[in-house]
Amino acid sequence: MNWANLFFDLFAVIVVILSVITITRRNAVHSAIALMMAFVGLAAIYVILGAELLAAIQVLVYAGGVMALMLFVIMSVKSDEQNQVKQTHAQTLIAAFVGVLFVVEIGVTVWMGFLYKNTGALAKSQLAAMGNTEALGTVLFTKFLFPFEVASVLLLAAMVGAIVLAKYKLER
Amino acid sequence: MLTSICAVIGFPLLGATINGLFGWKIKRKAHWVAVPAIALSAIFALRLFSQVLAGHTFVGDLYPWLVIGKLHVPIGFQLDQLSVFMITTVTFVATWIHIYSIGYMDHEPPMGYARYFCYLNMFVTFMLVLCLANNYVLMFVGWEGVGLCSYLLIGYWYEKASAANAGMKAFVVNRIGDFGFMIGLFLIYKFVGSLQFNDVFAHAHEITPAMATIITLLLFTGATGKSAQIPLYVWLPDAMEGPTPVSSLIHAATMVTAGVYMVSRSHALFNLAPLSMEVVATVGAATAFFAATMALVNNDLKRVLAYSTVSQLGYMFIGVGVGVYAAGIFHLMTHAFFKGLMFLTAGSVMHALHGELDMQKMGGLLKKMPITAITFIVGATAIAGIPPLAGFWSKDEILAGAFVHGHKVIWFVGTFTAFLTAFYMFRLIFLTFFGEPRDEHIHEIAHESPPVMTIPLIVLAIGSALVGFAAILPHGGVAGFLNHVLASGHHVAEAAEEGGGVEHMLMIISVIAGFAGVGLAASMYLKGVPNPKTLGSTFKPIYTLLYHKYYVDELYFFLFVNPLVGGSRQVLWKFVDVVLIDGTVNGVAKVCGWIGSGLRYIQTGVIAHYAIGILGGAVILYWLRLLFG
Amino acid sequence: MTTVLPVPNLAAIGPEILVTVLACGLLLVDLFIPKDRKRAVGILALAGTVVTALFTMRYWNYSATTFSGMFVVDNFAVIFKEVFLFATAITILISLRYLEIEKVSLGEYYALMLFCTLGMMVMVSAADLVVIYIGLETMALSVYVLSGFMRFNVKSSEAALKYFLVGVFISGILLYGIALTYGVVGSTNLNAIAETIKLKGLKDNPVLMIAMFLLAAGFGLEIAMAPFHFWAPDVYEGSPTPVTAFISVAPKAAAFAALIRVFVVGIGLMAPHWQVLLWVIAALTMTIGNVTAALQSNVKRMLAYSSIAHAGYMLLGILAANTTGLAGVAFYFFAYAFMNMGAFGVIILLRREGIVGDEVDDFKGLAHTNPMAALLMVVFLLSLTGIPPTAGFIGKFLLFSAAIKAGFYWLVVIAVLNSVVSLFYYFRIAQAMYMGEAPDSSIPRPQGAPSLTVAIAIVGILTLFFGIYPHHLVELAKASVTTFIPFL
Repeated sequence: MNWANLFFDLFAVIVVILSVITITRRNAVHSAIALMMAFVGLAAIYVILGAELLAAIQVLVYAGGVMALMLFVIMSVKSDEQNQVKQTHAQTLIAAFVGVLFVVEIGVTVWMGFLYKNTGALAKSQLAAMGNTEALGTVLFTKFLFPFEVASVLLLAAMVGAIVLAKYKLER
Repeated sequence: MLTSICAVIGFPLLGATINGLFGWKIKRKAHWVAVPAIALSAIFALRLFSQVLAGHTFVGDLYPWLVIGKLHVPIGFQLDQLSVFMITTVTFVATWIHIYSIGYMDHEPPMGYARYFCYLNMFVTFMLVLCLANNYVLMFVGWEGVGLCSYLLIGYWYEKASAANAGMKAFVVNRIGDFGFMIGLFLIYKFVGSLQFNDVFAHAHEITPAMATIITLLLFTGATGKSAQIPLYVWLPDAMEGPTPVSSLIHAATMVTAGVYMVSRSHALFNLAPLSMEVVATVGAATAFFAATMALVNNDLKRVLAYSTVSQLGYMFIGVGVGVYAAGIFHLMTHAFFKGLMFLTAGSVMHALHGELDMQKMGGLLKKMPITAITFIVGATAIAGIPPLAGFWSKDEILAGAFVHGHKVIWFVGTFTAFLTAFYMFRLIFLTFFGEPRDEHIHEIAHESPPVMTIPLIVLAIGSALVGFAAILPHGGVAGFLNHVLASGHHVAEAAEEGGGVEHMLMIISVIAGFAGVGLAASMYLKGVPNPKTLGSTFKPIYTLLYHKYYVDELYFFLFVNPLVGGSRQVLWKFVDVVLIDGTVNGVAKVCGWIGSGLRYIQTGVIAHYAIGILGGAVILYWLRLLFG
Repeated sequence: MTTVLPVPNLAAIGPEILVTVLACGLLLVDLFIPKDRKRAVGILALAGTVVTALFTMRYWNYSATTFSGMFVVDNFAVIFKEVFLFATAITILISLRYLEIEKVSLGEYYALMLFCTLGMMVMVSAADLVVIYIGLETMALSVYVLSGFMRFNVKSSEAALKYFLVGVFISGILLYGIALTYGVVGSTNLNAIAETIKLKGLKDNPVLMIAMFLLAAGFGLEIAMAPFHFWAPDVYEGSPTPVTAFISVAPKAAAFAALIRVFVVGIGLMAPHWQVLLWVIAALTMTIGNVTAALQSNVKRMLAYSSIAHAGYMLLGILAANTTGLAGVAFYFFAYAFMNMGAFGVIILLRREGIVGDEVDDFKGLAHTNPMAALLMVVFLLSLTGIPPTAGFIGKFLLFSAAIKAGFYWLVVIAVLNSVVSLFYYFRIAQAMYMGEAPDSSIPRPQGAPSLTVAIAIVGILTLFFGIYPHHLVELAKASVTTFIPFL
């Protein structure tokens, strides 16, 4: 157990708590703020894992850009009272039960799978090799060139879709 | 020969296609397409028959249909004594029924007329595919195809709700049978590695007896559906909602015999499974008997014939079940003639009486429509087993086969059923064609049908009278001919030779049974003997009940129906039909309803619920794996 | 450190490039086409799709791996790309007039459809989990928008939103599966995964097992296999009918192809495990699909459940894990594309002023008002039920015999029983068409636009043709799965 591991666990717990807050607050603004903080927490985890560039992008794009936009939309569309939404329904208990079961299931297996087996080392060594901006850029334009290019089409499609759904005034 | 085979199948297909695509234009001239198509097919079939008679058989592929891995399923045909016998019968009878239909369907609207002939041609096409296929899959194609056409034709008058439902019932019940058939096919493929008849039969001995029993029982399940045997017989009486020529062609002469053909074709498999043979023979005998008792009480002209068909199909299964396949197939052929004929005459009566089917309202029609009456009597005499008409020869061969092979009980049931058959058929004749007209109005409107209908009747009547002699042709007659394929019949012939004396005695017994049935019917319906008064004094309380116009019916209702039919009715109709079949048909819908309404709760439309379902499903699947994996 | 940019084999992604250029081109052309002539965009898209399909055929027997092993072109990919392109072409044909009736004739519709096609083509050619994921997302995003294309229609919007929400949920699960796989194996490349599992003996690794479940769930959504099918009926019912036709065939095929590639190539050594999993899923999927379909009175909903059931039949092919089974899946997708799109085409035919045309009652008397359409519908229904001589029968026969060969007797019994049950609801439609009374003459008669008629006629003829003469298509399907022979 070293410091990095400790902080990893700490931030992981914080992110989980913030996520729970996100989905349980009645006030949409509060939810959004909690989500933003969760994003920052994730960025911290990236730093611990040695992915500084990813952490920076996470803060800039998600916590900065996306969330600001989201808050802006929330605030401009509706007044404060209308932002009060009930986020839970009758299924809370069942959902919680199923969710916990799922977590236990995966948790136990992953624990059993990785404990004493050191299978994770493989991924770790790879991470160390590319834990900087240059490595990321290199890998993005060599090994992952194809998914990178397809992702650009994906974004284009998403953009077109958003415009279609939002902008056109249809003549009825 | 492949060309000729293609021609036999191709002409009806062409006819169906032309009428199907251009029916809206051809309309009332549809028969100018359909009848030549089927007639040409019959001519080619006869040509093939002469070739086979000369000893040329043929197995070959038109083109590979499904070839994957070791599985090789071609569009291929097998022309041997068995299949040529079938196609000749089918095309010959079908031709005359097509001609008859021209007259019978002349009141139909033009579009319906073309549709009718399209379906009829299509039916013949599939039936020929069924008979000529050289592998099980292609046979299954024909099998499903005839079922589909049957569905379409039963529901032809779809304006009538009963017709539409009857069509549906037929299709559904058949699918239940097909379920068994399909599983059987898959098992054959699994254990033999091929579905070609020749390969399967050549390697049949590699199947273990237990597996052979399972496979053959599954195949027989298919046969009970298609050939209306217990417990899947119920669709056939309802199928009478269709036009009468359809009943004649599909539900008497051809399609319903497909099960018998299939069992005979698979004889190599059935021979490996004595238990299955026993089941086939027993089911056949039971069906023959119970269906005959049900025919005793019915007053609906077509339904009596329908029950009679079920009963005669039972005979065929007795034949194949006891191992005299050739006799079963022979009976199939003679039955096609005389039962096809009787349905057509029933149609002729219906046509004359504007759709009246109640025998109690008829009577004395002999003078009004002599050709119809006489041809019907020929058919009835044939089915009653009176020598020397067709039914006598084939039925006798089956019963003799059953006796010689040691199935004495089945022989007895068969012989007794022969008596019942003669009785109800002649009851039908006496009620319909003899005696005093019981309904003046109906008697007034009765008239003989046009020649286009009566000529087919005459042709088929001559056939019914004469085809039986094929049994005593040189070289072993029909049996000798068919036994080239149905090889196991050889030892039957030997057994029969050993017991030559027994056979003559059996023949005499079955003839006596036939005459007894006719005689009883004659005395009861023509002379009123057993006299109701004598019976009445003996059974005083019953007498008051019977002293009415229908006293004869009421009498044997008490003599036969309660003990026999009543029993079979309670058991078969109430239980099998209502509980099992209707239960299954409705039950599937009902069970679907229950499960569905349960599932409907899950299908709430709320996304969150779906998410839980997905996650929960994944969790449960995982635990299931831990439990069973 | 200098990095040399790799020179990928661009020829290998020719069809993908063509589709992308076409989609972007359509967006541009759309700007210059007046609002009432958007049909021209559709026709252009159709022409482009046909050209791409013909072009893709040239890649038959062209086998290549490029982009650092992430992209493969093999016959399996080609045959599925043809399925997608065929489905796209038919969808465009049946959309042309539908969009005009619904007054949503926009050029972007066709562009999105092509983006979706691109996503699917990438998925089926992907040899890497990351690429599969990206392809899946490209496809899914476009489909979300397409299903909500009738924005003013509440049902359509609802369909889009539901599809989207369930989609992102599952997308998370899929990513988790990919992450776990990567965590254990250290690679996302399918061949590398197979290699590592073999070398390190990881085939019973519990984490991989979880990953396998999550991957199955991820693909299971698009395949609509139980218990990941809940979204399907709502989305199918709400979406514009041509889109429903499209999503019931193409994305399902893409997800199936990806599932085959991942399970057979990637974790093929874990076959005993995923066979148990798929056994349960297949039985559930068939039964739930068929039983629920029998209850529906809305034909679109009925076909939605029936498409769930068909996914169950097709799972038999993967489960069997032999050449016949996999080839059966490929064949079945062609057959399924023909018959399902045909059935939806007939529903669209019934769409006319004042009538939505997707209730069973709307089919009443179709045999009188439009006999040819009724006849073709019967062909489609027969094929869906699996009655010869139609393509559907051949497909089912291949799948079932493959499963029998692999020894899954009981599952085949369940499957055959299910196909018997399916008769009940399919023939409710036939009964309505042939046995129902024609509606009074005040209601306009269904009259197909030429494009729609052509589309239905094409798929109808193909359904029959490949039922009577399936040989070549079966041969092609068989050749397409040779890729997997080393892994079986």
